Amino acid sequence: MLETEELKKVFKGKTAVEGASLYIDKGESVGLLGPNGAGKSTTISMISTLLKPTAGDVRLNGKSVINNPAEMRQLLGVVPQEIALYAELSAYENLKFFGRIYGLAGKQLETAIQQALELVGLKERQKEIVKTYSGGMKRRINIAAAMMHEPEVIIMDEPTVGIDPQSRSHILEMVRKLNKEKGLTVLYTSHYMEEVERLCDRVYIMDHGKIIASGTKEELKSILSSEETVLIELDRPYPEFFKELQSLDTIKQASETERGIKLILPKGSRVLGKVFQASERHQVQIINVNVQTPSLEDVFLHLTGRKLRD
Amino acid sequence: MKSVYLLQWQRFRRTPVMILSFFVLTIVFVAALAGNNPAERPAFLAYTDDSLSQEEAEDWVASLNSEEELQFRLESEKDVRDAVSAGDASLAVRLMKDDYRIVMSADDMTRFVLEAFLDRKYREELRFQQIEQETAASGIRTQTAAEMEEPVIQIRTVTLNETEEFVYDNQLQLLFGMTLFFSVYTIMFSLMKIVEEKRYGTWDRLILSPAAKWQIYMGHLAYSFTVGYAQIVLIFVLFKYAFNFDIGNRFGLILLIIACYTFAIVALGMLAMGLVSRPQQLQAVVPIVATGMAMIGGAFWPIELVSNNILLAISKVLPITYGLEALKGVAIYNRSWQELSEPISIMLLIGVVCMGIGLNLMERRTY
Repeated sequence: MLETEELKKVFKGKTAVEGASLYIDKGESVGLLGPNGAGKSTTISMISTLLKPTAGDVRLNGKSVINNPAEMRQLLGVVPQEIALYAELSAYENLKFFGRIYGLAGKQLETAIQQALELVGLKERQKEIVKTYSGGMKRRINIAAAMMHEPEVIIMDEPTVGIDPQSRSHILEMVRKLNKEKGLTVLYTSHYMEEVERLCDRVYIMDHGKIIASGTKEELKSILSSEETVLIELDRPYPEFFKELQSLDTIKQASETERGIKLILPKGSRVLGKVFQASERHQVQIINVNVQTPSLEDVFLHLTGRKLRD
Repeated sequence: MKSVYLLQWQRFRRTPVMILSFFVLTIVFVAALAGNNPAERPAFLAYTDDSLSQEEAEDWVASLNSEEELQFRLESEKDVRDAVSAGDASLAVRLMKDDYRIVMSADDMTRFVLEAFLDRKYREELRFQQIEQETAASGIRTQTAAEMEEPVIQIRTVTLNETEEFVYDNQLQLLFGMTLFFSVYTIMFSLMKIVEEKRYGTWDRLILSPAAKWQIYMGHLAYSFTVGYAQIVLIFVLFKYAFNFDIGNRFGLILLIIACYTFAIVALGMLAMGLVSRPQQLQAVVPIVATGMAMIGGAFWPIELVSNNILLAISKVLPITYGLEALKGVAIYNRSWQELSEPISIMLLIGVVCMGIGLNLMERRTY
């Protein structure tokens, strides 16, 4: 349905995105993962026709949309990262305006407004001024505004940034429903791994302006199928102990976490004995040891050498 | 375009304070400075030093008051200085035998008018005194006055553009000057919504809609034009009918001039927005542009009093200069449509040039 071919964007001699190729099938939910500055927003801006690529193409149903963006815009709903609403107007007035600008009027407009408000769960508070809303409510209206013209594809650029867990959960559930129940095609960018794991069928991982991996969650995790993760929970940090673990040949990667140490090592390697011996030498108090299969976060760390929220 | 235009009015309804405050400020300034009595002449306090006796000082004041332009009242030096220090009088005059001094606590636009008047009167008096000394002729003053009744030669001062002598009408100067000055703020601050939209992301939503970019711009520009135009027209109507200001009967022509001026200021606002990178910068730029333009363009004092060639040259590229010229041309000099076509055309030209450059710059800039 929607595909990009070798998209490239250069700003004042600096390459923001290079060779970004991706495709999304109708009804699919695809995640675009990457840390801040990876080039996600630039890629999305090019797909949504807001930015003209320096090179490459965006195709919708096989037709190039670079020089004919109008067709693409009718099918697209874009939820920007910022709260793109008129703060001095009510939610109802905002939606009415965005509906009008898409040519809706009369009963059709009123129905679209009420449906959008129902979708985001703010029907009861539609007459309140947006600037009096909480961060989460603003984000929900931000999504509703993109849904007014019933788009086929919705592009969401980090729609849950800076909101409370309850609102976040509400938004994620709403996006899931839109995709699974209403068949809406979703391109979702985030630097929250758990959101992408929960919502998306397939994932593209971006770093430094390039797509460095793609596939279903299982396919990506299989990159690390020959490895396993060991989480060691400690009562406090022990720098010398961590240094010794890092120096062990059998450990591929060691990193410090909030609660202790995370080790990535070849599957089946007998390393726990050495870990306990080292802990005795450094008088380390181990609270818990957990052997896990790899997560997307581990895949990301493996591919980029840094955490998603670095 | 219509949706974007109506949206701006909807937003205005929710936050009307800024625009209404400029409307009110204009009324307050014009009413306070020009008063509501068209016959009233600007009045100044005067005192004298030791070079003049009390009798001579009274003669001087009587001579000054014999003209119909300004009024003077003789007081003691202490009273005058106290009044100026306390802010009860903005300006005062120290009369001396062959010179004068203006006493002021803060800069005041009427200083130029006062200075021009005193300069002329002193020149005249000193010339008489010189003739009396050199010729020992008596009765030269009465003889001159009699001759002036039926002069042998009549001298008429003209400029390249005008055929009339400079006429100073304090009320209309203030009404036109202050109204055009404050309308710059109203128009430019209302245009700032475009920069805000670009900064806060709503612009991208509009761009992604079926509305064409020119329609979105037109919605904003039409709104700014309407508020600016309405402000100027309402103030003129208010002062004409409620305060009896004599702006003449050619209101249709005045409406046309206001429209051309408003268009030029909207375009200038677009240029200013194209030059800044953040809305906060525009908040600093607008007062500088508005005040600078008003000072140089003759909104605070008649441009006819300015003699600095550099300032006069700069004033030639400012729309406010032509706006005032055209408005005074209608209300004071009763100029014909043909005579007014020049300032009107220049305002339109400035508008087209600034709009073209401004739109181009805005399209290149990210806020």
